[in-house]
Amino acid sequence: MRLVSRLLGRRSDRAPYAIFGGIAAEAYKTRSLRSRLMPVPIPEKLVLPLSQNLDVDAVAIVEAGDLVQKFQPLAEAGEPGSVALHAPTSGLVSSISNATVADEFGSQRLCIHLQTDGEDRAIETVPEADYSALDHLQLLERIERAGICGLGGAGFPSAQKLSLGVKSGIDLLIINAVECEPFISADEALIRERGASVVVGAEILQSACLASNCIIVLQEDKADAIEALRKALEDSSIELMTLAARYPVGGEKQIIQAVTGMEVPSQAYPASIGVLVFNAGTAYAVYKAIVDGEPCVSRITTLTGAPLQTPKNFETLIGTSVSFLFDLCGIDTTRHTGTIVGGSLMGIQLPTLDVPVMKTSNCLIAMSAAEFPPDEPELACIRCGFCAEACPARLLPQQLYAFSRAHDHEQNLAHGLFDCIECGACAYVCPSHIPLVQYYRASKAEIRGQQARQLQSQHWQQRFQQHQYRIKQRRDEAPHQVSGDAVGPKNDDEPGNKNRSHGDGGKTEAAVFSRERAKREIAEAVARVRARRAGHIASSRTDAESDS
Amino acid sequence: MQTQRSAIVISSPMQHSQRSTGRLMLLVIAACIPGVATATWYFGFGVLINIMLAASMAIVLEACALKLRGRDIRLHLSDNSALVTAVLFGIAMPPGASWWLVAMGIFFAIVIAKHIYGGLGQNLFNPAMCGYVLLLLSFPVEMTSWHIPNDALVDGSSFSAFSLAGLRQSLMVSMPVFGGAQMSSPDSIDGLAMATPLIEFKMAGTSALLAAWDAGVSGFSRDSGAAWELVNMGYLCGGLFLIYKRIISWHIPCAIIATVTVMSTLYYAPGSSAIYGTPYLHLFGSATMIGAFFIATDPVSAATTVRGKIYYGIIIGLAIYGIRVWGSYPDSIAIAVLLGNFCAPALDYLCRPRIYGHGKKSRTVPTAELKS
Ligand code: SF4
Ligand code: SF4
Repeated sequence: MRLVSRLLGRRSDRAPYAIFGGIAAEAYKTRSLRSRLMPVPIPEKLVLPLSQNLDVDAVAIVEAGDLVQKFQPLAEAGEPGSVALHAPTSGLVSSISNATVADEFGSQRLCIHLQTDGEDRAIETVPEADYSALDHLQLLERIERAGICGLGGAGFPSAQKLSLGVKSGIDLLIINAVECEPFISADEALIRERGASVVVGAEILQSACLASNCIIVLQEDKADAIEALRKALEDSSIELMTLAARYPVGGEKQIIQAVTGMEVPSQAYPASIGVLVFNAGTAYAVYKAIVDGEPCVSRITTLTGAPLQTPKNFETLIGTSVSFLFDLCGIDTTRHTGTIVGGSLMGIQLPTLDVPVMKTSNCLIAMSAAEFPPDEPELACIRCGFCAEACPARLLPQQLYAFSRAHDHEQNLAHGLFDCIECGACAYVCPSHIPLVQYYRASKAEIRGQQARQLQSQHWQQRFQQHQYRIKQRRDEAPHQVSGDAVGPKNDDEPGNKNRSHGDGGKTEAAVFSRERAKREIAEAVARVRARRAGHIASSRTDAESDS
Repeated sequence: MQTQRSAIVISSPMQHSQRSTGRLMLLVIAACIPGVATATWYFGFGVLINIMLAASMAIVLEACALKLRGRDIRLHLSDNSALVTAVLFGIAMPPGASWWLVAMGIFFAIVIAKHIYGGLGQNLFNPAMCGYVLLLLSFPVEMTSWHIPNDALVDGSSFSAFSLAGLRQSLMVSMPVFGGAQMSSPDSIDGLAMATPLIEFKMAGTSALLAAWDAGVSGFSRDSGAAWELVNMGYLCGGLFLIYKRIISWHIPCAIIATVTVMSTLYYAPGSSAIYGTPYLHLFGSATMIGAFFIATDPVSAATTVRGKIYYGIIIGLAIYGIRVWGSYPDSIAIAVLLGNFCAPALDYLCRPRIYGHGKKSRTVPTAELKS
């Protein structure tokens, strides 16, 4: 409510707030925006990873040999974090087996392999022109069924994010079309050509999370897209805000700061301060899911980079291989030195081209030696502080770097290592070419490993103590016949079993009981750590996501 | 670290800005040019010789130190940091200092103050100033005698400081070898201990530059007494250039200059005559400008947080003024900067900025939460 009053109070002067730090990175967007948004021809083969965010696998509901039609569900959402998967076109499920996916390690994940038949026969869809006929639970259910996840990069399931928002109450829904990564232009192309649908998608999202306000945010250098949105927003309650071009103003935490002046508390979700951020591409997918009744089977992907003859934005079927797309753009293989999926600042470099586009793949960059010269050797940190100036989380990257080198994780934690969103602004400006983000990732991994080990050792310690307790108990009980009294008072001393009921007598029963309880407690602890870790990942990823 | 880093093949960001440490350092040296040129004009070639001597020795010593530490010599020499140390050290040395004095100072600066501490980035103290202070403590007489070739002082309108005679004289002072077998007789060199105006308070209260202009003499003529003022102006210009190029931030120089100005105004204003010197004299009569813009801003040994930099500047400013006025060393920049260096780590720790997402009140990160 605080926010609402602020919004009302500021209605006349909707000036964005300043974010911390940031950099002015040279943009390379115009070349991919020269041509119109184009649908990609259907490739012969599609590979659909069961996990679209490379985290949790969905559960396949088809088998090898099945004939499927376009939009037919292939996999259902299973554990939290997974989203349903649908056939992007008609064809034959040739196998469900491991294949290389688009991450920096070239790892293998379970994928559904689809042999397309080129006929593109679709199952019947249920369009719903008037979405206001649906209440928010129905909307949520349809969004979930359509398999929509954050299309900006992190791929957090949208329905889960929305219901999380409904639970904590949302004042403001931000549609993020900022796209501050220098190479990505997918959202800009989308809004330029389908602005009206994005606006409808935003309205649907707004009613799905019961947000009182909605605002679409763009970077002010996107004149065409702003023009298109102005038109689409003429009789809508949704507002438009433009931000000065600055990386990473499109990060989730940064866009919230820019729009509201508030900061997302450390380690918390934006929903905790009444804000939700969705990517413009996600809004468009929601529009398709509700209004056209079509599940998420394609996305807009920017194909760019100097080795491509015709860089452009493609409407790509999920599962299309990267090399197929590059060939369509006429790639000059002699100049091609590497491939980035995502942006040049937060993306990852692919070890191989033979990987499929996923729901999260917003941009593919063909690298050339001219645009991406090989990394210069790392020199000593001269503590110039440029990195601290650029850090949007207001950390001291030079200190984190020193602590990471010294493996001083206590200091790392005290200096906010886990508040680092891995935006890379620090490494971008570092005159000594230190791959700072790499150090932070290593430190984070080390700390998580330590925490996991600690938990495990606690577990063993607990078991050992229980073991000793049982021995002691047996020794105590041996001479004089057991009675409830003898066991009763001692139960309170048993580690990890404070709340045990007294006087139940039987020793084996007690032992079994305590063992089970310990097991449960450990399982709970492990789950807590998992959840927290997922939180870290989600928060660092959602920053990436909403960036684009 | 190596093993973990190799696990992540190539890490984002893949795009980088064009700035590099080696180029930054060269720009710092370039920014010294106006000040050094002016100083050479007034004090003769001794200034340049000091810098050249220091620079060549520094490069050799740096290369040796890198070799001993098993580092890639060419790569690490390319950061040009030894060169900057040498230039600053050379500027600080009195013109006409003997070559062995320069050698001793630069050895201490590069090998002891920098590499023993772990090389660039690890040194707690500004190496150039460490070398300088060591010499100041060990050779106080030599370090305060300014040998200006008498040719350079003869006639304000002639260019004799740049004539070969002046150069030869300067060389003879610093390296007697050049004088040939007949050791330079003291007569041929003006062993003038040319102190900075602050040492001789006779100038206090007036600007020699203005006085010279009032008297119809060009401020650039050597007998106008405006030398220090113009040298300081030179460094001021260089410093502003560095700020404009965003190589240094304004915080440290501004804090130092503001503190010195405030202190000297406070103590001057009560009207107790000019004992303490005018604010103007404090800013332009000695090495304040080079100290504020070039020496205190050495990033490695300075504070690196924004608020830390301001406190760091204030500490140095106070020390400059305090040592000058109440202390027994005539020039206080070096000691003041070392004092600031000493405080910098603590300042950085205390002045950590509030991290995004951490409440304004809770300054400390809830580490327990992460570790539990
Ligand atoms: S930008 Fe690089 S060299 Fe400068 S302080 Fe940061 S880490 Fe060190
Ligand atoms: S990567 Fe982390 S430390 Fe570096 S600028 Fe971004 S948030 Fe700050």
